[in-house]
Amino acid sequence: MYIIMAYDVNEKRVAKVLKIARKYLTWIQNSLLEGEITESKFERLKAELSKIIDESEDSVVFYKFGSEKLFQKEFMGEKLGPKLFM
Amino acid sequence: MKPLYLFSSGRLERKNNTISFVSENEERKYIPVENLTEIYIFGEVDLNKRVLEFLTEKEITLHFFNYYGYYVGSYYPREHYNSSYVLTKQVEKYLNPTERLKIAKKFLIGATKNMLRNIKEYSEKIQQLSDFELSIESLFRKILDAEDIEQLMGIEANIRQTYYETFDLIVDTSNLSFEKRTKRPPENELNALISFGNSLLYTAVLSQIYQTHLDPRIGYLHTNNHRRFTLNLDIAEVFKPVLVDRTIFTLLNRKQITKKDFVKGMNGVFLAESGKKTFVQEFHNRLETSIYSEKLKRNVSYRSLIRIEVYKLERHIIDDQEYQPFVRK
Repeated sequence: MYIIMAYDVNEKRVAKVLKIARKYLTWIQNSLLEGEITESKFERLKAELSKIIDESEDSVVFYKFGSEKLFQKEFMGEKLGPKLFM
Repeated sequence: MKPLYLFSSGRLERKNNTISFVSENEERKYIPVENLTEIYIFGEVDLNKRVLEFLTEKEITLHFFNYYGYYVGSYYPREHYNSSYVLTKQVEKYLNPTERLKIAKKFLIGATKNMLRNIKEYSEKIQQLSDFELSIESLFRKILDAEDIEQLMGIEANIRQTYYETFDLIVDTSNLSFEKRTKRPPENELNALISFGNSLLYTAVLSQIYQTHLDPRIGYLHTNNHRRFTLNLDIAEVFKPVLVDRTIFTLLNRKQITKKDFVKGMNGVFLAESGKKTFVQEFHNRLETSIYSEKLKRNVSYRSLIRIEVYKLERHIIDDQEYQPFVRK
């Protein structure tokens, strides 16, 4: 499964959320990450996040796709995304 | 689950409970550790014990290659699927000459069938291939009669030699040459590709063995020599024609790799960085390609198929089910 994650959380928790998300996904832009993930890892990511966020004022959105091939990405400026080479 | 190929030079660090790579110009990139299975290091990379400890915890293998693309070694974290039962069984099969020969033959049978499959794919277009096909088929019959490992290795060498001779017919070698297989160092471009591809496959198989109970030090076809992993070499034999050789055919026939992707040095010919990257990308794509598995009754990637192959061998070793090597349909 391929997911795109966007979050809008209180300033106090931004760094914490990013820290967790980075273990599973590739950082694209502020508050936006994406990457290939398994169902079980996705559950773990959500479990980790739910310990940090305050559900009354924070929100995290996941867009789920069966594969990377099922959507198109278009860039303006620098091309960002998970890399095989570094 | 993805590997990472590090071509740049820099520093690998543990940072914020994940892995990060700091390039020479101090630019930091994060790598999602939960999604990582292995790291291939081609550049000049510094790393410390903290990273190794973390990689051990996350069960990630590291493979090092030198400037020429030669395999240097691997960081194989401590076994996490320890099973003294499987280990003793594995050794028992190795020490028993009949049992060892039986397994070794299976690898060679799989390898040869996959080689023949490659040749057949091109034999309609290229008439001269049928002679090679016949001679490999006759050598193939000798495998079953081999009485010991030495004989088997001899047959293997003959099969490979005949098989590699077909490469000049299969690939467009108008600007490359390939007279005979040479190693350490490879003397021409095609040999450089075979050597590089094989070492990529050896490490890919090693990373899969790590996810099972088997010990990579005990191989059956290749003799154990106190310091080297050998089981991955055995299993790689079955997959070389399917993964490495077909990658080479594709890259050369599409002219994605040409003479300019090679460099001369150390009395041999080696892949330049551009060539290495193109090769790795195509090899990776092939590993990610899925095919139908009879065993699982669903589509799996070639990478998973290697794992399934290790499991099949494990079943054989614990006397559960006889091992039948993978043969491409």
